Amino acid sequence: MIEVKDVTKKFGRKPVLKGVSFTANKGEITCLIGINGVGKTTILNAIMNLTPLNSGEILIDGERINKHSYEKIAFIPDAITMLPNMKISDAMRFMADYYQCWNQKRADEMIGFFKLNPNDRISTLSKGNTAKVNMLLGLAMDVNYILMDEPFSGIDIFSREQIADVFTSHLVEDRGVIITTHEINDIEHLIDKAVLLNEGVVLKEFNAEEIRESEGKSVIDVMREVYLK
Amino acid sequence: MDVKFNNRDPVYIQVIRHFKEKIATGGYEPGQEIPSRRELANNLKINPNTAQRAYKEMEEEGLIFTEGNLPSRITNDPEVIRNVRKELILEAVHSFVASVQSINVPLEEALHLVKENYQRNKNEQEESL
Repeated sequence: MIEVKDVTKKFGRKPVLKGVSFTANKGEITCLIGINGVGKTTILNAIMNLTPLNSGEILIDGERINKHSYEKIAFIPDAITMLPNMKISDAMRFMADYYQCWNQKRADEMIGFFKLNPNDRISTLSKGNTAKVNMLLGLAMDVNYILMDEPFSGIDIFSREQIADVFTSHLVEDRGVIITTHEINDIEHLIDKAVLLNEGVVLKEFNAEEIRESEGKSVIDVMREVYLK
Repeated sequence: MDVKFNNRDPVYIQVIRHFKEKIATGGYEPGQEIPSRRELANNLKINPNTAQRAYKEMEEEGLIFTEGNLPSRITNDPEVIRNVRKELILEAVHSFVASVQSINVPLEEALHLVKENYQRNKNEQEESL
């Protein structure tokens, strides 16, 4: 389990996270929802130990995040971090050299799953294929948790569908996933938990099936209540 | 496999409903092998935990069964299958009665229209075959 406990973070004097708390379980898909600029990416960076906190703490499987945390978590950013003139195969080799937890078998499988050509250069890829390569580089790591920053934003519908297919496939297996999004439509039936954020605070955290069962409400119904009241 | 899910009912209940319809109409035969939980999640684009939940409930209701590590199968129990069919018919009748009553249609007139309509639909279906 990833536990985010009362985390605060300021950029200069500007508070970005004002006491954020939530949990994300292994074997579940947790979705951080909020419009742009509410601190979603900052939360992911904090979980990756990429940004120092002002207060609060983050635990991974009961252990405070430390410099070894990256062996347990993969971060899939919303833009590719590989050099433009690299081929997809070069990018995979780079990851294999850099990370002990790299799983080449799963990487090869994902090339097929996404119908990518390993000889294509990063600079020549469409937005959709860039997102898929990004996804591949993260998911091919043998880690317990995967963080995905806006995996669906700005790409075509077919690429979105293919990426959504990852969530129901064995590629995610029993790992814990945290994804951020400002649009829930496509994935309402895919997620376990929703965490609604606004201006650096968690307004509501709930399980999507439970809220349908107990209150007969869709995720969007709840969002409407929470954000528009 | 194509199911249109609504957003407000629990997805696992909608999955069970889908299976019941297929069982009642013979789309799934007694003893037929069904997809694994993972395959079902993938086919229907739903959360794997939800697929798991639906299978667990169906297993408890006796609609499906699993032996050891083998794939799950549709029940062979004719009693269970009859009950599923009965449940779906009663549900349909119930919602029909509710909507007919809400517009004050007398029973005789409603039944007459049902017969007429039923026959016409059946004829059209047969012609189109």
